[in-house]
Amino acid sequence: MNTLASFFTILIYPAGLTLVLLGMFYEWLDRKLVARFQNRVGPRWFQPFADAVKLLAKEQIRPGIVNPYLFFGLPVAALAGASTAALYVPLLGFAPPSSFSGDLIVTLYLLSLPTMCVGLAGWNTTSRFSVIGATRSLTQLFAYEAPFLLALLGPALVAGSWQISEVNEFAQTHWLILTQPVGFLVALIGLMGKLELPPFDAPEAETEIVAGALTEYSGRGLMMFKLGKSIELVVGLTLVSAFYLGGLTGIGSFLIKSIALLVLMAVMQTLFTRFRIDQTVGLWWRFGAIVVLMQIVAIILWKGYMP
Amino acid sequence: MNIEQTLQTAEKILAPWNKDTLRPESNRMDMVVQTDELRAATNALHDAHWGYLSAITGLDLGVESGQLEALYHFCSGPVVVSLRVRVPRENTYLPSIADILPPATFFERELSETLGFKIEGLDESDRLFIPDDWPSDVYPLRSDFAVEQAAPVSGSRIDEIPEQGMLTGNTFVIPIGPQHPALKEPGHFQFTVDGEIVTGAKMRLGYAHRGIEKAAESRSWYQNLYLFERVCGICSHTHAMAYCMGVEKLAQVEAPPRAHAIRELVAGLERIHSHLLWLGVAAHEAGFDTLFMYSWRDRETVMNLLEQVTGNRVNYSANVLGGVKCEVGPEQAAKIKEGLDYLETRIRHYLEVVTTDAMFLNRTRGIGTITAAEAEKFGLLGPTARASGLMRDIRIEAPYGAYVRYPVSLVTRTNGDLEARCEVRLEELLVSCFAIRAILDNMPEGPLTARMPRKIPAGETIARVEAPRGELLYFIKSNGGETPARIHVRTPSLCNWVSVLEKAVGRQLADVPMLIAGMDPCFSCNDRVVTVLRTDKKEAWSWKQLREYGIEYYRR
Repeated sequence: MNTLASFFTILIYPAGLTLVLLGMFYEWLDRKLVARFQNRVGPRWFQPFADAVKLLAKEQIRPGIVNPYLFFGLPVAALAGASTAALYVPLLGFAPPSSFSGDLIVTLYLLSLPTMCVGLAGWNTTSRFSVIGATRSLTQLFAYEAPFLLALLGPALVAGSWQISEVNEFAQTHWLILTQPVGFLVALIGLMGKLELPPFDAPEAETEIVAGALTEYSGRGLMMFKLGKSIELVVGLTLVSAFYLGGLTGIGSFLIKSIALLVLMAVMQTLFTRFRIDQTVGLWWRFGAIVVLMQIVAIILWKGYMP
Repeated sequence: MNIEQTLQTAEKILAPWNKDTLRPESNRMDMVVQTDELRAATNALHDAHWGYLSAITGLDLGVESGQLEALYHFCSGPVVVSLRVRVPRENTYLPSIADILPPATFFERELSETLGFKIEGLDESDRLFIPDDWPSDVYPLRSDFAVEQAAPVSGSRIDEIPEQGMLTGNTFVIPIGPQHPALKEPGHFQFTVDGEIVTGAKMRLGYAHRGIEKAAESRSWYQNLYLFERVCGICSHTHAMAYCMGVEKLAQVEAPPRAHAIRELVAGLERIHSHLLWLGVAAHEAGFDTLFMYSWRDRETVMNLLEQVTGNRVNYSANVLGGVKCEVGPEQAAKIKEGLDYLETRIRHYLEVVTTDAMFLNRTRGIGTITAAEAEKFGLLGPTARASGLMRDIRIEAPYGAYVRYPVSLVTRTNGDLEARCEVRLEELLVSCFAIRAILDNMPEGPLTARMPRKIPAGETIARVEAPRGELLYFIKSNGGETPARIHVRTPSLCNWVSVLEKAVGRQLADVPMLIAGMDPCFSCNDRVVTVLRTDKKEAWSWKQLREYGIEYYRR
């Protein structure tokens, strides 16, 4: 890969500009849909962009007692983690620029990075709301992470590969939502948990703990965390639609499938009341993890006896 | 049991301590009790299960008489029995009755902070109502109080409040308020949490004290109407109504029947607006924003109706002394009925949502359960009490005004959790809609106002009305002049706080906002005793300076 191509990969596509714009677009779409469902007007199309510009222009206030390296480094790590994950997924339906066997696991770890960073950031700022928020973020991480991983493992097992691009190719001929509906649901709801969207927004429940772990963040740092979350949304939607909705073949199929998923998520955000953190954990471990585990066992048995 | 029998029962219970009996009004009995016998008398009433402690009014009988007086109002149905205790100014000790009747805690603190009663056995380590930099030994409601005395003192309590972070081990103090997204109004709570479990709760009020009770003493009877309307933005009508009813009783003027009917009509609409607002807030606290948005959208309908009738959306200003100032004609009646049709379908829908939506029930069913016995002990009022199976509704227990002619039915539940409180409030709205229709169909003809004298004859009276949050009690004392001698307002929220603080302990932190919202707290109800306007420089500002500052601020 020559230097120019590398620069293009990092700055324009798939990381960099494309990713940022896509993230903003999906964030806007999510907010707009939820607003319309709630009988509100909702933001204008350029609102996420305007928010980003405003936050970038603002002063970033650092609380006196924090570790400055962590305080300024964590938002960068969160954004970098989410953006790097985009390198391994078929963004916009094109083949991922980087691919190797086992990149599914790497992607999932990279996608957990923003949450870990949020947790650390909350712990670092030592505000009482932040600490409670961070505890909840990390508790929630332990709740949904395993079921979400298992839900994406299902298609990978069936496809016989742990490489995202290969699963994507396999899925183009097999609509796995039909054969693994449980896995699809767990993956979708797991994604909502990952993104701390309602009803899994206990870590940032404003009526109890203000803005949770990010209470003390402002300006650039806050903007990077938010952007990281938007990018995580895009990457997550790409993964789930590639695995379960018949694969991604081009821009058209990418947009249709991921937006269909987003609409579904917006409906769920509108319909449900926030879970308490103990209820979230209970839901995942008493129900989510068990059903998806049963599905994995079923797949393994099926693969073993019906080659 | 009729009024006379109830009074006799009380007299019999209190006979051993009774020094003097007065009968100021047909439903009231005042008994003079000695300071050291107050506890015994309270105990007797408590043991006999006679009524509940509704309020404690503090009176300053003037410098010449050298005495302060505390009135303990016990209510049972329409009957009010007041125990009057007099103490000399130089020795204002009163025994605390908070261990017998927990709701007395807040009343006693109000007494001690505003009138300088020294309550024995009361925790006075911090202040509940008056500012932290208020000088000690200056009591705003004393008759010899002068504004100059209230210059803020520095270095006292306000600077001592430590930045409490981690206490011991994993215990945290989570401050909620006075500025917090969950509280749209200024109050301060400190919840000690161990992980997610609340282990202790404390509260502080008074961030927006406006000194209304004090201000009332220097304004004429008419001017005070506008003042009391502004005690609360949500239930402004019931405040004005209680004030008017009290003053009318003192002046022995009876408002015309049409005026009473319109008062009940506006009160009904106000209840709809208040409860729908509450539903939205409760849903938001639970993290169910969709219900919040929808219920507030529908609330606009009733706001428009109120504007139709009174001309105002918030402080309706429907009352005048001796009647009302707004007319409800056939055209408005038709509009109201049309609005009610829509509201009724929506309220039925919400009733279905709060009782069937599994996710919402996750957050309400079995949470914050208060049994009937506890409700009795905490002295709960209004829908919160009715959700626990207590039959407390002044509109039914002691019908006033038009409620005799257009009665409402009692709505109660027995399970006492948040779900029951949602149900009670919403079902009450259907009852209110029904009553409003009845009024519109049989509106009595006649004038809107009766003539009121400028000076109100000397006397004391108690007016009780059912506000959306529960019983509202006005104690009004006149010396026969153009201004009142003392007006004491006891709002329902004040009585319900005890339950929140008690019930929060042991629950999840996530349930706390719901518990607070569950009793529908109204901070403006609580904050009305006294304040000093001040800036960072800690100096008292005059009204003129403040006004100039405001104008200058917005010019920039």
